[in-house]
Amino acid sequence: MDFISTHLLTTILFFPVLAGLAILLIPSDQIKAIRWTALFASLVPLGLSIWLWTSFKPDLAGFQFEEQYTWYAAINSTLHLGVDGLSLAMVLLTTLLTPLAILASFNIGDRVKAYMILFLLLETGMLGVFMALDLLIFFVFWEIGLVPMYFLINQWGSANRNYASFKFFIYTMAGSLGLLLAIQMLGVLFGTYDILALAQRWTTLETSTLLGLSTSTVKTVAFWAFVVAFAIKVPIWPFHTWLPDAHTEAPTAGSMLLAGVLLKLGAYGFLRLVLPFYPEEAAHFAGWLAFLAVMAIIFGALGAYGQTDFKRLVAYSSINHMGFVVLGIAAAAKAMGTLDATIALNGAVLQMFNHGLSAAGMFFLVGVIYERTHTRDLRQFGGLFPLVPVYGTILVYTSMASLGLPGLNGFVSEFLVVRGAWAIMPVFTALAMIGLLMTGAYILKGIKDVLHGPLNEHWAHGEHRLTEINIREILVMAPLMILILLIGIWPAWILDVINKAMMMLF
Amino acid sequence: MTTETLIWLLPLPPLLAFFVIVLFTNKNKALSHTIAVGAATLSWLGSMVVFVTTLGVEHFGEHVFNSSLNWLPTGDTFLKIGVLIDPLGAVTLFFVAWTILMIFIYSVGYHNFGQPAGEHDRPGLAPHGATVIDEQGHKHAVLSVEPMYSRFFAFIGLFAFGMYTLVISDNLLTMFVGWEIMGLCSYLLIGFWFAKPSARAAGIKAFMTTRVGDVFMLLGIVYLYWATGTLSFREIFRPEVLSDLAETITPIFGLSAAGLIAILLFIGTIGKSAQWPLHIWLPDAMEGPTPVSAMIHAATMVSAGVYAVLRMFPLLTAGWQGHGLTPEMSVVAFIGTFTAIFAATIALAQNDIKKVLAYSTISQLGFMIAALGMGAYVAAAFHLVTHAFFKALLFLGSGSVIHGMEHGVLHTGNHHLDPQDMMNMGGLRKKMPVTFWTFLMGGLALSGFPLVTAGFWSKDEILADAFAHGHWTILITLSLAALMTAFYTMRQITLTFLGEARTQEAEHAHETPWTMTLPLVILAIFAVSYGWVGIPEQFPGLGGLIPNWFHNFVGATLLEHPEAVAFSWIPLGISLVVALGGLGLGWLVYKDHKAGQPDPLQKAIGPLYLFLQNKWFFDEFYNFFVVKPVIWLSAVFTSLWMDKGLIDGILHFIAKTPIWIGDFLRNKFDKPFINEFIGDGTAAVFQKAGHELRYTQTGRIQSYLIVSASFLIVLAAVLAYLFLA
Amino acid sequence: MVPLSWYLFLSAALFSIGLYGVLARKNVIAILLGIELMLNAANINLVSFWRYGSTAQMGGQVFAIIVFAVAAAEVAVGLALVIAVYRTRKTLTADELDLMKW
Repeated sequence: MDFISTHLLTTILFFPVLAGLAILLIPSDQIKAIRWTALFASLVPLGLSIWLWTSFKPDLAGFQFEEQYTWYAAINSTLHLGVDGLSLAMVLLTTLLTPLAILASFNIGDRVKAYMILFLLLETGMLGVFMALDLLIFFVFWEIGLVPMYFLINQWGSANRNYASFKFFIYTMAGSLGLLLAIQMLGVLFGTYDILALAQRWTTLETSTLLGLSTSTVKTVAFWAFVVAFAIKVPIWPFHTWLPDAHTEAPTAGSMLLAGVLLKLGAYGFLRLVLPFYPEEAAHFAGWLAFLAVMAIIFGALGAYGQTDFKRLVAYSSINHMGFVVLGIAAAAKAMGTLDATIALNGAVLQMFNHGLSAAGMFFLVGVIYERTHTRDLRQFGGLFPLVPVYGTILVYTSMASLGLPGLNGFVSEFLVVRGAWAIMPVFTALAMIGLLMTGAYILKGIKDVLHGPLNEHWAHGEHRLTEINIREILVMAPLMILILLIGIWPAWILDVINKAMMMLF
Repeated sequence: MTTETLIWLLPLPPLLAFFVIVLFTNKNKALSHTIAVGAATLSWLGSMVVFVTTLGVEHFGEHVFNSSLNWLPTGDTFLKIGVLIDPLGAVTLFFVAWTILMIFIYSVGYHNFGQPAGEHDRPGLAPHGATVIDEQGHKHAVLSVEPMYSRFFAFIGLFAFGMYTLVISDNLLTMFVGWEIMGLCSYLLIGFWFAKPSARAAGIKAFMTTRVGDVFMLLGIVYLYWATGTLSFREIFRPEVLSDLAETITPIFGLSAAGLIAILLFIGTIGKSAQWPLHIWLPDAMEGPTPVSAMIHAATMVSAGVYAVLRMFPLLTAGWQGHGLTPEMSVVAFIGTFTAIFAATIALAQNDIKKVLAYSTISQLGFMIAALGMGAYVAAAFHLVTHAFFKALLFLGSGSVIHGMEHGVLHTGNHHLDPQDMMNMGGLRKKMPVTFWTFLMGGLALSGFPLVTAGFWSKDEILADAFAHGHWTILITLSLAALMTAFYTMRQITLTFLGEARTQEAEHAHETPWTMTLPLVILAIFAVSYGWVGIPEQFPGLGGLIPNWFHNFVGATLLEHPEAVAFSWIPLGISLVVALGGLGLGWLVYKDHKAGQPDPLQKAIGPLYLFLQNKWFFDEFYNFFVVKPVIWLSAVFTSLWMDKGLIDGILHFIAKTPIWIGDFLRNKFDKPFINEFIGDGTAAVFQKAGHELRYTQTGRIQSYLIVSASFLIVLAAVLAYLFLA
Repeated sequence: MVPLSWYLFLSAALFSIGLYGVLARKNVIAILLGIELMLNAANINLVSFWRYGSTAQMGGQVFAIIVFAVAAAEVAVGLALVIAVYRTRKTLTADELDLMKW
């Protein structure tokens, strides 16, 4: 136990990979054993993260549970891990969603072994990004997360998976090229990749020229290199078109993690790297960022409303919701250090967490009905509520969380973002309200076409008869639903940690 | 238990009932309604205790019940939420508790509890009726129980939670929470029979239309929170905060911050209280299970909008000198006045019994909003309370009528007959006496029948206020609206209850069970008697017999207690004339109306009737100018043109560029140059050379030796020449 | 004592005879004999340079002995090849053994 408590982060980080190696030893035809091993293996990091959460001291500044190991001594890069309130929330979200995604994939029967191993690998990749305190490590995990997801979409996806997986992979890779170059530049300039040291030295850099250009130009270019990489991942309009394709083609559990965690990597990058590294540039370009965020909010919502594919509708809703995260970040960037900025950031981080819960839930619910009907076309559903009352209730509940109904989690974070952003950029905030209005429209459209209206008799009889959501699927939804309600009613338990982290960070 | 703790607990029983019914008891109808009605009774009991307690507090306006706790950490501070019962809250709590309890009881009967399940009934559609065989073997068509009975009680439980939360909130945030939860419930309840496309569409329309208002309201809340750092009413309404807000000028139309916030919040009310131009959802909301949800929307929830303006009254009137109107007050007054007359005109030409009531609700809410716009705080609050009682009564009464008509429909088996159309009724007073008498009381209260009904006192107070402050336009418009109100009310009563039955179904209508009539009787008592607590002191004859309790009590909510307006005969005269005149006219026009005849009004006003019947074509207008463009914008512009066309087009172009470059390099460089020239070319040269040179390869060892020996000799000679010479 | 140049002449004559034999004779065995003559001519050179040079340096003698050994081995292998070739081709004329031509 002592070893674990002193190496908590590394244990959480690498346990999934080790478990994946263990699964490698199980014969491929032992599907049940593989599934349960994967599930229990993913519950271990969850348990440890809860331990991490309880032993975390939100009042302390800086990072906790830090660990540092030599990794690549020649270029001064170390395996430096640590968490603060921001990354802690994200670690908790990741370790929570992974077991749920694995439980959600129990219906997968095709190459289960490879599938589960990829999921565990994916978990390590995502956790690594949230824990890394070294730019190179950050980048390595950033890319590691990409590979399993590519294969998950490409091998277990639906009809158009080749196009979608390719677009996803190449697009993200293209974005990270600039990131890699900018990271290299920082590494060469300062001889270290340590985020804490870099943030300190880079922002207070006093030379007027760098590499033959003026420092401000170099900084601006590097700033945009970071921003584009993260903007593609978030995704911000107009870098968003990979998302509907990737989400729609991915297997259900893949979409859950894609929407639940992978999108957060981009927003996390903004908070962990862009704002601390480039406070001046961020403040200078905050208006543009906010503009793009508002475009994402409005056109994400309009795009969602225009879909006839249920999963695409949900995918577009992610663009809409993540727009609020970026709006909060942009507003905070403009007025760093003020109370308004803190509130906006609180809202943005909480929105990241909330969207993780509700989007994962929505994708799962779409998956549930897709598995039974083999269609996602909204026009082919209709009036299913009497056939599947439990499913319908859960769908309405989760949709309402996504819609931002007060009393559920989405409202709290959207309220905070709007409150923080209103003080700093009232016009953009007012425009974002159009998106908020359309959020209602597309959510109701989804419910209307699936559950309400005249019953499509096709699903009522015979072999096509729609079956009710089963216990396993309810078990996947239950933790999400409880957290959605809990954060909606009493957000202070998580917001307190976020709030303190935001105050100390910025 | 302190009163504050009790107030905290008030909304919880219905919420618990909601969860218990949804999670556990939804299969058991009796248990579900027991839990729901029990929860409503508990909340009602608590509310009465709180209300009675407030009556015993001296100078209650200054010593309110208030308690709060930290909710959201924001930087170093917290956003607090809490409960507050002040005089306004107390009177609102009183009518909310009563009406909600009545709805709960009424629902048991309305959804035909105890009746058999229908053979063709399915969840999502209104029950069609069942066939029973009595002891003699005769078949009877009877009403059947609602298939989603438990679910209905769960929804109204959640609704009650929302309404209680809204009333007891001491801050805008939890008020907004209650506000939106009611919005959700109205969506769920209007679309309760979701399998019917019209009900489904009505639910969405209600949610979306109110949401238009809600996003503005959210902006207002956010703005207020930013400007004052708090959302608690009592913090905001401190004089120094208000004067700060009133003096800050915003860039939007030169409004003060207080005015802009008040207008943003007021737009929320426009949506919720169905004021023009966001009134369109309320008539459609009548798609919900007939009286109950209609009543929720018309009598309780829409009151929330007016309640919100009442709550925000100090903000609305910040900087107001007591005469003239500030810009924001003018906006409010205009919207209210226009809505009052606009909705009244539409109500004249509706034949659906519930639609008439729906438009009359919009119109009456317009009265309250207009009163608030004029600064007549107490009059608005008074009308809010009396209206809630008599409109609740009317809606429940109309539900009872429809229910009775459904009996008739089942009896004749003519399912094409619309049981809600007043033209199919007539003469119901004999068949449904309790419903008739209570409906009559409600109708008279709505028309403002002098002296005995509550509606008279509250409406009169609004007119008196308009007169006293010289708002002539408002006075004349509202008087006209009141005249129309009396007219269409009498039209409704005459067509429904008086005269002779115009259809077979009306002949066989039947009085409803006690669970439905009991609430009617109770509400009728309030519809009459509630007016007596607010009789002006100087009213001739009656004034002073009972103290004007309402004015003194509710007026104390404000920091500056408003003065009661001086008595004048003119507004009283107007009230009397429009009420009695309208009622009389209505009776005269419709008393001899026969089945199949066109509406007499149609002859009188001609094409205007069509215009009114089609609700001024607002639905068509919005459909053409808002709904269709938005659908085009999302389905075509955003999805197809922008995302798939432009953005993906650029992406695909970028993705194809390397392919083009690669193709070019392969076909134009690699293949001709590298492969054919350098690669294959070199090989060809050597092949050719080898081909030619192979003849030197004789295979004879001695010729090789000769060559090498002679080469050696030559080499030796060269070396000797180079080094020896 | 006979001067060194006599030996060298002898050696050159022997070498030339051997070379002539190798280049001009048709019979493979005769060619082999020619090679042996050339080797021995070299041996005479080695030994005589040793004798007329520094006798303490054993290099000349050593090389000569190595050449004997190589010559013996060569003859052994060469004659074996000759026998093998004769068995398959029934001839020992060098000109007819031109399998390795184009």
